[in-house]
Amino acid sequence: MSCVKGLKCRECGRPYPKEALFVCEYCFGPLEVDYDYDRIKQVLTREAISARPKNLWRYRELLPIDGDPTDGLNSGFTPLIRARNLEKALGVRELYIKDDSVSHPTLSFKDRVVAVALSKAKEFGFDTVACASTGNLANSVACQSAIAGLKRYIFIPADLEAGKIIGTLIYNPTLVAVEGNYDEVNRLCSEVASKYNWAFVNINIRPYYAEGSKTYGYEILEQLGWKAPRHIVVPCAGGSLITKIWKSIREFEKLGLIEKAHTKVYAAQAAGCAPIVTAIKENSEIIKPVKPKTIAKSLAIGNPADGIYAAATARDSGGGGEDVSDDEIVEAIKLLAQTEGIFTETAGGVTLGAAKKLIENGKIPKDESIVVSITGNGLKTQEAVADKIGKPIRIKPNIASFEEHVRRH
Amino acid sequence: MAKRLIKLTFPKDLIKKPITFQMAKKFDVMPNIRRAKITEEIGEIMLELEGADQNLDKGVAYLKKEGVIVEPIVGDIIE
Ligand SMILES: Cc1ncc(COP(=O)(O)O)c(C=O)c1O
Ligand SMILES: [Zn+2]
Repeated sequence: MSCVKGLKCRECGRPYPKEALFVCEYCFGPLEVDYDYDRIKQVLTREAISARPKNLWRYRELLPIDGDPTDGLNSGFTPLIRARNLEKALGVRELYIKDDSVSHPTLSFKDRVVAVALSKAKEFGFDTVACASTGNLANSVACQSAIAGLKRYIFIPADLEAGKIIGTLIYNPTLVAVEGNYDEVNRLCSEVASKYNWAFVNINIRPYYAEGSKTYGYEILEQLGWKAPRHIVVPCAGGSLITKIWKSIREFEKLGLIEKAHTKVYAAQAAGCAPIVTAIKENSEIIKPVKPKTIAKSLAIGNPADGIYAAATARDSGGGGEDVSDDEIVEAIKLLAQTEGIFTETAGGVTLGAAKKLIENGKIPKDESIVVSITGNGLKTQEAVADKIGKPIRIKPNIASFEEHVRRH
Repeated sequence: MAKRLIKLTFPKDLIKKPITFQMAKKFDVMPNIRRAKITEEIGEIMLELEGADQNLDKGVAYLKKEGVIVEPIVGDIIE
């Protein structure tokens, strides 16, 4: 049973068939999946969802596949944690962490989008998948396509962190390290994609792929007891995740799964690559591309494909955006680890750092519910903190040495 | 002939200059504008350029030299 009507241009609304298409041939706007919500409403109830296995496919009517899901059957349904220690540290009343640093199998929210992209690519009959990635997507495409038995080509900027490279190579893809930044990798990939008949998950499969991010939002709503938070802070690179979290709230409202929500959404970026936050702060409807320079490499996209929609989401929701310096990123990574025991990557440092600033400058009130979106794992970006967390105390294997160096009396 | 689907971003000081038109004339490239947005600070045009491959290269290089940010929307379409 499929609840997908087809694709639709986000700008001019023209309908397109369910194919590997991604750009409107009239206005060059991006294409989006168009659902039959009346039909979904008849089957997708709270009870139906609750009775299903705890993975991202429990919302399958709201995901763009026609047959049964084949990938990511153990992905999703990550913890939503009430962060009591962090509440004290930040002086707020009700704070949650949605923790995709423990996403199965590759420790970032990209497992969600790739699960959907690969299921769809197989429906379309592709035997080869590919992606342009800032790291986490590379990990997940390499991993899940190995499970699926698909051929795989992964394109990354050559200067990525060791953890992201090893976490890709271990699955034995063809890994192409391009001497350039992500935007150059992406430009190259749009050339490659037009020459080869591959499923490029974030190019020709993008309308389907991007829908997977909605499950991050659905889970928050379900885990809060079918309720939306008042504030949610989201890291932005291409700007897709934030728009899909917003869409997840609107869809659950439309289906009567939650009451009318008044959630404000905030974009978080590194100061060294903040085209979306800049557009929000300057109230501009045009994104000015930038050259990224930040330790938050997973978010280092200077020309964000969905940037304008990300900025509009923050604006329309009554939220906003904030950017943080590299030092603030590291401080926030440490704060999260030392309060809640969650070791997040640089993107998580960006998100918590931005949340902290938004709270401190009064944009997010201290007495309303807040969700901080933690989307990746710190073991993948160890170089960002390696020389900023002290060193082990080195001793000889005897008690005298211990007492001399550790417990001086 | 080849087609290129691109996005041009014009910083403030270039908004009023007829750069796209000059490029088209100079390099015999046919622009077909599909969508445009403009504010006081910045301008943006999505368009299709059609012409001989090397003319497209030259035209795009010219735009970049003038200070326009050029980004592909999709890869080249060769017909
Ligand atoms: C850990 C992490 N968080 C957030 C994002 C941002 O996602 P989007 O590109 O949808 O804005 C990325 C993108 O690569 C990421 O790797
Ligand atoms: Zn259109």
